Amino acid sequence: MRIPTPSHLRQNLLCAAALGLLFLGGPFPQVQSVLHAMLVLALAPRPEAPLAGALWALAAGWTLEGTLRLFPHFGGTAWADMTVVLLAGWMAGRWPLEGLQGWLVRLAGLSLLHALAMHGAVVLAAGSHPWGWGWFWTLASVPLWGWLTWRLLHAGAASGRR
Amino acid sequence: MALRASRWRWSRTVWQRLILVLLWLGHGFWVLLGPSPGRHWTSLADALSRPAQSLAARWEARRVARREAARNFAETRAENVRLAAELAQLKTWAAQEAPALSEADSAVRLLGLKRQIPLELASARVIFSTRPATFGGLILDRGADLGLVPDQGVLVPEGIVGRLWSVSGSQSKVLPVDAPNASVAVMLMRSRATGVMQGLGSGRALIRYLSNQEVVQVGEAVLTSGLDRVFPRGLLVGYVAEVTQGDLELQVIVNLSAPLDRVSLVLLLPSQPPLEVQAPFLAPEQKPQRKRGKP
Repeated sequence: MRIPTPSHLRQNLLCAAALGLLFLGGPFPQVQSVLHAMLVLALAPRPEAPLAGALWALAAGWTLEGTLRLFPHFGGTAWADMTVVLLAGWMAGRWPLEGLQGWLVRLAGLSLLHALAMHGAVVLAAGSHPWGWGWFWTLASVPLWGWLTWRLLHAGAASGRR
Repeated sequence: MALRASRWRWSRTVWQRLILVLLWLGHGFWVLLGPSPGRHWTSLADALSRPAQSLAARWEARRVARREAARNFAETRAENVRLAAELAQLKTWAAQEAPALSEADSAVRLLGLKRQIPLELASARVIFSTRPATFGGLILDRGADLGLVPDQGVLVPEGIVGRLWSVSGSQSKVLPVDAPNASVAVMLMRSRATGVMQGLGSGRALIRYLSNQEVVQVGEAVLTSGLDRVFPRGLLVGYVAEVTQGDLELQVIVNLSAPLDRVSLVLLLPSQPPLEVQAPFLAPEQKPQRKRGKP
């Protein structure tokens, strides 16, 4: 059974909402980390529109770095986000979704990869830094936000509409 | 063929992919630049300017070396001038002090000779020499004031000089052994043959009364025999220069060893010395004993 792809409008609206929440979640780093992963890994990737997904990922990365009061010109988070979102989009086209379980497993793996890529890029850009526990909360809450995004993107999407 | 006919063109997808690649590469480049991009430009400028810096450093080092060399050259020249002046001064001083040094050297050698002969020896200085004249001699600065009497032997470290001919109050005259009217009892060192040596002038003398049977070699040493009671036995007179067979005796020409023309200090033997004097006993020097096994 092939899972229908959500419409552009719905996806972009959800991305915008997640980006707003990400911006507003500055005082709560753990929540912001989860929102950031959700936007980059679940909402933004789209196999047939990599540019749009990359732009959303860039926006998410720059927003996170800006609200974390880091120097905005570091750019490591944005670069890692763009790389991972392109990878996630390619994976979505290469291995289409078949159910919630596969979706959660894919999100968990991508979360791990995203954390590693993000911190690696930040290390390249700014040197060593404290990792914090955001990656842990993100990984621990994969079932929650994975189910949520599944419901928002795929389960509720009209079939065939683009 | 169909694929070759389809030409590549700027489609929307191509534009999107191009923008995507540029965004990714731009961000990657920005990340790799690090927190202070100016540092990289500084490093690049440093790397580019390194050859010029090296060249400038070498040029500066060369200039410093040249300056140092010039300074050293000037210092060396000044030192050279100073040393030349000092050398000239020392040469002048050496020329001024040469007679005194020569006299001191003679005095030292006389002292050594005096220690070797166990007799009461007196010393005197030659104040004048009349040797170039016929029957000339040496004038000493000591005479009767020192208890000198005629026929005392006179010698220097190189050999005998002559005998006192006449003595006045404070001076005395020496008859050198090469004077024609001087005679000394001598013997040859190897054959121990004795004879009488008469002066021939110019530092040479002739030994007479040597038998034709004697074997005399050129270069053989001639010593005093002590028979004339002027010189004790064994003082060096000279060396055989020439040997000629005569009708009855050998004609032996001797080169006197004492430099009669350059004598400045002399020793005076006592009057009527013993025929033979024993050399003083000199204890041999203690050699440092080394224990076995030690270097």
